[in-house]
Amino acid sequence: MDIALLGNPNTGKTSMFNNLTGSYEYVGNWSGVTVEKKVGLLKKGTASLIDLPGVYSLNPLSKDEGVVTNFLLHDSFDRMLNIIDASQLERNLHLTIQLLEFGRPLIIALNMVDVASKRGIEIDVDRLASQLGTKVVPVIARSGRGCDELAEFVTTIESPSISSFTVSYGEEMDGAIERLARMLEGKVHHSVRWLTLQLLEGNHYVKAYLQSFIGREELETFILDTSKAILSNYEEKTIDHFIYHKRQEAIGELLRNSTYTEEENKQPLSEKIDAVITNKWLGLPIFFVIMYFLFMLTFDWLGFPLSDILDGIISGPITGGLEGFLSFIGASSFIHALVLDGIVAGVGGVLVFVPQIFILFFFISLLEDSGYMARVALVMDRLMEHVGLNGKAFIPMMIGFGCNVPGVMAARTIETPRERMLTVLLTPLMSCSARLPVYALFVGAFFVSHKALIVLSLYILGIVVALILAKVFSTTILKGETSFFVIELPPYRIPQGKALWKSTWEKGKGFVKKAGTFIFAGSVLIWLLSYAGPQGLNVEMDDSFLAMIGGVFAPLLAPLGFGTWQAGASLLTGFLAKEAIISTMNIIYFVPDEASLQGLLINSFSPVAAYSFMVFILLYIPCLATVATIKKETGSYKWTCFSMGYALLIAYLLSFLIYQFGTLLGF
Amino acid sequence: MLAGLRIGKRAKIIDTSGADRLVRRRLLDLGITEGSEVCIKCKMPFGGPFMLESCGQCVGIRRREAQTIKVEEL
Repeated sequence: MDIALLGNPNTGKTSMFNNLTGSYEYVGNWSGVTVEKKVGLLKKGTASLIDLPGVYSLNPLSKDEGVVTNFLLHDSFDRMLNIIDASQLERNLHLTIQLLEFGRPLIIALNMVDVASKRGIEIDVDRLASQLGTKVVPVIARSGRGCDELAEFVTTIESPSISSFTVSYGEEMDGAIERLARMLEGKVHHSVRWLTLQLLEGNHYVKAYLQSFIGREELETFILDTSKAILSNYEEKTIDHFIYHKRQEAIGELLRNSTYTEEENKQPLSEKIDAVITNKWLGLPIFFVIMYFLFMLTFDWLGFPLSDILDGIISGPITGGLEGFLSFIGASSFIHALVLDGIVAGVGGVLVFVPQIFILFFFISLLEDSGYMARVALVMDRLMEHVGLNGKAFIPMMIGFGCNVPGVMAARTIETPRERMLTVLLTPLMSCSARLPVYALFVGAFFVSHKALIVLSLYILGIVVALILAKVFSTTILKGETSFFVIELPPYRIPQGKALWKSTWEKGKGFVKKAGTFIFAGSVLIWLLSYAGPQGLNVEMDDSFLAMIGGVFAPLLAPLGFGTWQAGASLLTGFLAKEAIISTMNIIYFVPDEASLQGLLINSFSPVAAYSFMVFILLYIPCLATVATIKKETGSYKWTCFSMGYALLIAYLLSFLIYQFGTLLGF
Repeated sequence: MLAGLRIGKRAKIIDTSGADRLVRRRLLDLGITEGSEVCIKCKMPFGGPFMLESCGQCVGIRRREAQTIKVEEL
């Protein structure tokens, strides 16, 4: 049995999904956490639950919302679970009515009853249920209360009857529904009533669907005739407003009979917090202070010491233990070198940075779950508007600090295609966590006293370059007038420890997993390339295949300050995954741990060349996984190639300027 | 106009037809339309966006849009 989970944004769909399925999806407190449908198996029983992006209405404005309409039109499922926010019933019921019109079995989960009662709203659940003609189950998805009963109910009930609740849109509409039904001649299995209403509301997906059955002109005539008939009889400006108001009337009636609101003039805590966080003058400084703390904790106060401890463990007991074991079983010197110089150096060199990456992911999860992310969008909107974007584009960029792949996908929540394309193209400039090990290594070697500041400068450089390019692109290749910004600011929520940890783990486990698979295999390959050469096996590193390959790029990189085959080879592997740069360097420089690698690096890079190298790594190309995502999101080879091409150009230019001017100034 | 409303004062929206089509649609999704009561919570500096409150929910919109929405102070 397939159950579709539907509801407004920020109503706790994803929390509910996690609670019901026991699996873990990513929860955030901003609109657009889920941009693609996700399927999970219910804890008990054989039903699967399909999590869909949050929508206010079935008539989509943005691409993630379109996923829901397309799902309803083209996918098969057995029943719908509609989650509604008890504290915002009026707004939520608009979607519920549209789902009831769709005409499939529906069960309602009434979420956040605790929040509603705190705001003085008491809901008579039984009366609401009897009026809507559906089962209504009160739950608190965040804590999981009521979720077991809901799961029980959703799966065990044999076949929930289809509700007979209808909104009356007048006889003109009824006539129109009959007319469309005649035009369709029974060729569709969807409710004609629902199709008619969605079509008249201006739903493009439904229109395109209907055009596969009815001629374009015939359909246009139908829309025009119906609109004329209705607008001449009622005092309404547009047909979608007419439909909206009819629904609004029906909802008003429903609520009068089933809810009691106590007027309370207490200012909600969320508004008190907002009085400070989004304060006219404090908003931006607070954002910068939060970012500063995030970086200091990740790179200086907490992250570095933890990574050092881990480095000590990997290079000490683990390497020693492996060495002893290999000698004990009498492994050949080839195996010895492969394991210690290839795998331990390559994989261990990446794993060392797990603490720092987890701290970063923890803070990103904290910002998302608390509701601060939407405020950042508000605070940044003015700046973003100047460069041809809107504040919402800042959210994918912040997500991109963790990993560019979900960042690029989060751009789907941006309504206008032009701004969405810009965001997809520029999000890869955000310094993702996989680039972090490279910085950590280099600042540890060259900029010991200003570690966090140097890293912060790279993150800021990424943002500044993105903003400048946004301005350039939006006035040249991606011109257009429309910029759009309306954002819902959900109430603040106290993040829950368990959810926070799971969210951090979900994001971070990809890094650990990649180290065990991709980086592992890559390390073996890189080591083999460095072990073998045209003259045979066990050659001098400088005569190896790897040196030959890297050497091709060395002359090109010389003006940037790092014209060595080692740099060339590691940048090449960096395209596959940015952290592979570290694995490659560890293998090339043939050292057991981070500290001795740093010692060696000082001999091959000058400080300004090191900075130039870090800038190049920051910008030079989106990693393979990001490129694949950009291709999927833009659906265009042209734009995908462009995203790689412009990055390479900008990276080369900036590194060149930094190195040449830096050397000139005598650094 | 909504943009002229002082912070903390409540007002009723009387006409949104001057606003951008997409903005109107999104505000409608959020339940903000003719007849809704709104209150401006804060205005971002340098011509930045406004934070509105309506029926207990907060929404951010641009100043430019606020200048096209007619309201009546309560």
